[in-house]
Amino acid sequence: MTDTASHAPKADGKGDIYQRLGEITRELHEALKALGYMPALKDAVGELPDARSRLEYIARLTGEAAEKVLNRVDEAKAEQQKVIDSSRQLVETIGAVPGLKWAMPELLQWSSEIQAAAERTDHHLTEIMMAQDFHDLTGQVIKKVVALAGTLEQQLLQLLIETAPSAGSESANTPAAPESARHPELSGPVVNPEGRSDVVTSQAQVDDLLASLGF
Amino acid sequence: MADVRFLIVDDFSTMRRIVRNLLKELGHADADEAEDGSVALHKLRNGKFDMVITDINMPNMNGFELLTQIKSDDKLKHIPVLMVTAEARKEDIIAAAQGGAAGYIVKPFTKATLEEKLTNIFRKMGRA
Repeated sequence: MTDTASHAPKADGKGDIYQRLGEITRELHEALKALGYMPALKDAVGELPDARSRLEYIARLTGEAAEKVLNRVDEAKAEQQKVIDSSRQLVETIGAVPGLKWAMPELLQWSSEIQAAAERTDHHLTEIMMAQDFHDLTGQVIKKVVALAGTLEQQLLQLLIETAPSAGSESANTPAAPESARHPELSGPVVNPEGRSDVVTSQAQVDDLLASLGF
Repeated sequence: MADVRFLIVDDFSTMRRIVRNLLKELGHADADEAEDGSVALHKLRNGKFDMVITDINMPNMNGFELLTQIKSDDKLKHIPVLMVTAEARKEDIIAAAQGGAAGYIVKPFTKATLEEKLTNIFRKMGRA
């Protein structure tokens, strides 16, 4: 026997709460149908897979771009190392030839400058390599959004199935929850730290936090 | 410490590659990779590693779960685990430290930061 007139949860708790939630859900379904939102919901559900695939396309292309850069950086660093080693050897050779460094001091200076420039270029190549971490950070955010779109699609589909005129029961074919939804407690990169006191925004803050706790 | 064997764990191959290259630049060429905690645990149990560098947000088994597994395994718990992750919530940082992580680096990070954290860990390994 249901108690549809009462809105206060009864003393014996869970069963009545679920029943009340079920009633609210049915009222929401009926309201959406009456307001004519079901076609719009169908359109939204239909567009979500396309949105997900576009995001996955972005993730794939940015990943390929990062890999291309890393390949070229690896090759360039190998070449730079040859230049560094050769110029170092040249400096030593010039120094070892009696009188040469006094007769042609510019030779020694040029060799040293070439070595220093090659080392600076190698440092720049390391920075270029490090900058490819954008793929990891943006990729994590994209994964979260794709998972969110998947969850939303699943729930909207469920809503449509339950309100469809010929549907009599829960669908047995609801898609499984996206994998990253299994760990909703992990938030991924902080996209907008403004106004948040629960996150850190630099390695220095990480180190300070751990030091303050004795780690 | 040139003979330290690392296991780099991250679901993004780009990141694994960056960390591997940085380790090479810092004089550590001996490294293997795993794309998630589950693969990492299998490699740890069947191989010999001196340090784990792991992301947190990964499918199948995340970094926290991997840390727990390592620290509860008598054969693995001596291995230092350095978290390198985009997870920047204070509760995650504290949880990692309390779970036995040897260090915590937030992404994006610099070569100097990785070098500093490795030096700290090596120092502790030398003392232990």
